[in-house]
Amino acid sequence: MRESLRMVLVLTVIAMVSAGVLSQVYQFTSPIIAENQAERMESGVFEVLENVDSVEFIDGPFVMFRAYDADGNPVGFAYAGEGSGYAGPVRVLVGVDHETKEVTGITVLEHTETPGLGTQIEEEDFRSQFVGKDTDDDIEIDTDIDNITGATQSARAVAQAVRENLSEAISIYEGENH
Amino acid sequence: MTRAKADFLRGLWNENPVFRLLIGLCPALGVTSTAINGIGMGLATSFVLLCSSTLISVIKNIIPAKVRIPSYIIIIATFVTIADLSMNAFAPELHRALGVFVPLIVVNCLVLGRSEAYASKMPVGLAAIDALGMGLGFTWALGALGGVRELLGTGELFHVQVMPAFFEPWGIMAAPPGAFLSLGFLVAIMNIISARMNKKTA
Amino acid sequence: MEFFLIFLGAVLVNNFVLVQFLGLCPLMGVSKQVETSVGMGMAVTFVMTVAAAVSWLIEHYILVPFEIEFLQTVAFILVIASMVQLVEMFLNKMSPSLYRSLGIFLPLITTNCAIMGMALLMVQEQYTFIQSVIFGIGAGVGFTIALVLLAGLREELDYADVPVPLKGAGIAFIIAGLLSVAFTGFGGLV
Repeated sequence: MRESLRMVLVLTVIAMVSAGVLSQVYQFTSPIIAENQAERMESGVFEVLENVDSVEFIDGPFVMFRAYDADGNPVGFAYAGEGSGYAGPVRVLVGVDHETKEVTGITVLEHTETPGLGTQIEEEDFRSQFVGKDTDDDIEIDTDIDNITGATQSARAVAQAVRENLSEAISIYEGENH
Repeated sequence: MTRAKADFLRGLWNENPVFRLLIGLCPALGVTSTAINGIGMGLATSFVLLCSSTLISVIKNIIPAKVRIPSYIIIIATFVTIADLSMNAFAPELHRALGVFVPLIVVNCLVLGRSEAYASKMPVGLAAIDALGMGLGFTWALGALGGVRELLGTGELFHVQVMPAFFEPWGIMAAPPGAFLSLGFLVAIMNIISARMNKKTA
Repeated sequence: MEFFLIFLGAVLVNNFVLVQFLGLCPLMGVSKQVETSVGMGMAVTFVMTVAAAVSWLIEHYILVPFEIEFLQTVAFILVIASMVQLVEMFLNKMSPSLYRSLGIFLPLITTNCAIMGMALLMVQEQYTFIQSVIFGIGAGVGFTIALVLLAGLREELDYADVPVPLKGAGIAFIIAGLLSVAFTGFGGLV
């Protein structure tokens, strides 16, 4: 009996100490992690839109930012989209022009695709194909976006990520503007 | 050779976890698409190994034998989570690249294996030295594997182009099959070198 | 259809062992004979299915509501370790013959990263409960297929003239690599 009591006691103490230490570490690191992610997103906005001076977060079903130039005039918005790639989710940030509602640029935020093959989605040649697309376009691999040899799934994931949220993002942006 | 030195060197070559003991293989193959990822994973694993081995060796007399394994698992899982959170905060790029394999350090047979086989029986100093040797052995193995795959798969090393321009990267080396093939050949090369060394000393 | 895709994805396209690199330690250790491989595969599939269900419940009814997701790794590994224990005790009582054939593999399963990996991926992919269970079964079946295929090939190797440095582990990795090439061909399926 005394032995089993000791077993329970030791395990409980270890588990309590573990939970205590981890919650301390978590409280210390979580603001840094959140800041990192926000920073990454925001710096992405400067990549996908031109003449951006300041960025404002929009609350919604997915991450969105409104962007202004140095004079405070709106230049457009950026939204995050997600597609399922070869080895996991592919997350992209898409910039859209304020006037024309055309895609101004995309950047890949996160992916776990195969180096050398799937990583080609990060290259300028591939990303630039999305520039000028709007809701009237298919935005689909092998129709208006060229495939990447050996990385069809990765390319499809990017197209999916851009396509799926585009019209909803536009209506959120316009709804917020009026 | 003193005991400590032998304990340290063992993990680096004769009992190298990846090439010799064939343990900790999942991260060894899963994250070694580049040299940097391999080394990062190796260092993260070394951190967990060193911390948990030392702690387990310190408290080995307090833990009743019957709940030994669950206790070790909790201790290891705690250090893994600390490594996971800290990497996410201070090395986000690397954390993203290693993905699910960071929390998976918890089931790396290397960590639990050393805790059970060595740290639970040895004094703290030796346990720490053993963990350090094994960790570094794991790190160089992952770095080497990552280096070979990065070099042949993309023509780069540490993200710097090193192969001449006419070199056509072997896409397969970067893809999953390349991991198995590279490891198979590296194990064979290790065997050849060891056989040579044994011949000389004999 | 969607369930079928998740299943097929886990079995073939993203085969846990050959494409995702999970569960490699038992792969190299156990895959010397077809018979033991089948036993190991069955044990893993069983634990995986149960672990998928329990981990899902823990994630959605304990970790998320109390905002303690950072304890995920600790919680999941404990779930898996206790699942393995329970399965072992249960089998011992209910079906001693099955216990005898699977028994020796059960303790090994705790450190099989395929199971932990499955639990983590299931959360990452935001699967529903049913989807998670199907994903667990698929991952187990995928593991079994890879294990049995490799074991079959390694049995034949006994009669092959393999260069000395490659004998044992070396050639096994190269065979696994070739199997992995074959599984890459499933990439277009889903």
